[in-house]
Amino acid sequence: MGEVIVITSGKGGVGKTTTTANIGTGLAALGHKVVLVDTDIGLRNLDVVLGLENRIVYDIVDVTHGNCRMKQALIKDKRFEGLHLLPAAQTKDKTAVTPDQMRELCDNLKKEFDYVIIDCPAGIEQGFKNAIAGAERAVVVTTPEVSAVRDADRIIGLLEAAELREPKLIINRLRPLMVKRGDMMSIDDIIDILAVDLLGVVPEDELIVVTTNKGEPAVLDGNCRAGQAYRNMARRIAGEDVPLMDLEANDGFVSKLKKLIGFK
Amino acid sequence: MKKDKGSKGKKLFVKKADDRLSEDSPAKSKGTPDEGVPSMAEKKKPEKSAAPDKPDKLPEKPDHLPEKPARKNTVESDPWQQAFADDNTILIKRTVRSGQCIQFDGNVVVMGDVNPGSEIIAAGNVVVMGALRGVVHAGATGREDATVSAFKLQPTQLRIANHITRAPDGDYVAPEHPEIARIKDGVVVIETYQMGQDRQSKIG
Ligand SMILES: Nc1ncnc2c1ncn2[C@@H]1O[C@H](COP(=O)(O)OP(=O)(O)OP(=O)(O)O)[C@@H](O)[C@H]1O
Ligand SMILES: [Mg+2]
Repeated sequence: MGEVIVITSGKGGVGKTTTTANIGTGLAALGHKVVLVDTDIGLRNLDVVLGLENRIVYDIVDVTHGNCRMKQALIKDKRFEGLHLLPAAQTKDKTAVTPDQMRELCDNLKKEFDYVIIDCPAGIEQGFKNAIAGAERAVVVTTPEVSAVRDADRIIGLLEAAELREPKLIINRLRPLMVKRGDMMSIDDIIDILAVDLLGVVPEDELIVVTTNKGEPAVLDGNCRAGQAYRNMARRIAGEDVPLMDLEANDGFVSKLKKLIGFK
Repeated sequence: MKKDKGSKGKKLFVKKADDRLSEDSPAKSKGTPDEGVPSMAEKKKPEKSAAPDKPDKLPEKPDHLPEKPARKNTVESDPWQQAFADDNTILIKRTVRSGQCIQFDGNVVVMGDVNPGSEIIAAGNVVVMGALRGVVHAGATGREDATVSAFKLQPTQLRIANHITRAPDGDYVAPEHPEIARIKDGVVVIETYQMGQDRQSKIG
């Protein structure tokens, strides 16, 4: 029986889809059977980030409405045998699926996959409720900005109310130099407010944009700093004890990171 | 696009579009919450494009396609066939954007672009007087003689009746000429659009 993990944030554009694609690919690279579920109906992105858009025939709405069998809608990744995508519908909206349908969908998926990773839409309305309905664990993504952290806090509260306890936190787009100058919230500042466990910290990295545009997740790029962060997070989710390479990030985050990856 | 004056067959889609220019029929774009992609199925391996300067143009076989034509009851087939017989044509004078879906029980002519993330589903032919980059399904009720033509034919996915092809992965060269896609000998082929092609295919 697999595990259903929702990646959520409240605020839009903080990196949920990027995280889903990279952690999912990272877990598949470790040999796990993974399915990524895009619940951002009407604004689907995950297929594009994975470079799988041109393979979509059926989507999550077709599956939940019984228009096709689950197998027909699952898209096999180009790179990893064990990685699959269940795409969102683009021409419908969030009300096309109900939380009950999502619960049933997740129950079915976790029979076949080790990890069911759900890319949640921004917001706290129906799309969010759908995305968390079938989840057993939650990962909250935030950026080091007051507004994003505020929204993350709200989301954590909603997750707890929905019995999704102990969500894990990902801090995305951290810029160590700015933190050092005192112009950006530090990891400690954020943890201080949110009081949850850290799953990982992803530095701001141009390569994310490059790899996203190419449809090839950064986690596969051995030279990508953000990719390393995602590789570590995948291993942590899989139960390995990988030290947080960047916890003392306040000084020398980048150089420490570089050392870890084998840069000089 | 060239006017297909020579063709006096039933495939009047180009001409028809011209005829209706002045009428400016309203775009019939429906969100259709419970109508998905109409029935489609396997997996004919598309062949090389006939356009010599673009060896990479044609998609390979999608690897997750349905095994059986899981036909959905999105539309009653009778009215559709009827409409096709009448060469019913709709003219869309705007850009079809991501998330928009045009479904029509006849031919669809778009004077504008069809962007990635959008869908055109037609019982008949599809003509795009612009760049076709979204998903297109011509002959959606099963007409294998339906065609898709566009000034720039770069669809994410192209379906005719129950044949599906998709764009190749990675970058590929943008087409320089208007092109037409149709089923020939059981596979989807894409060729440079030429006047009189329709007539030929009719005879052949
Ligand atoms: N670590 C990073 N470094 C640089 N750019 C990043 C990083 N993480 C994400 N981005 C960029 O931020 C943008 C938003 O990312 P993404 O689409 O993953 O966010 P999202 O939370 O899924 O958004 P939405 O709420 O719209 O679904 C993208 O352009 C992505 O390339
Ligand atoms: Mg997203």
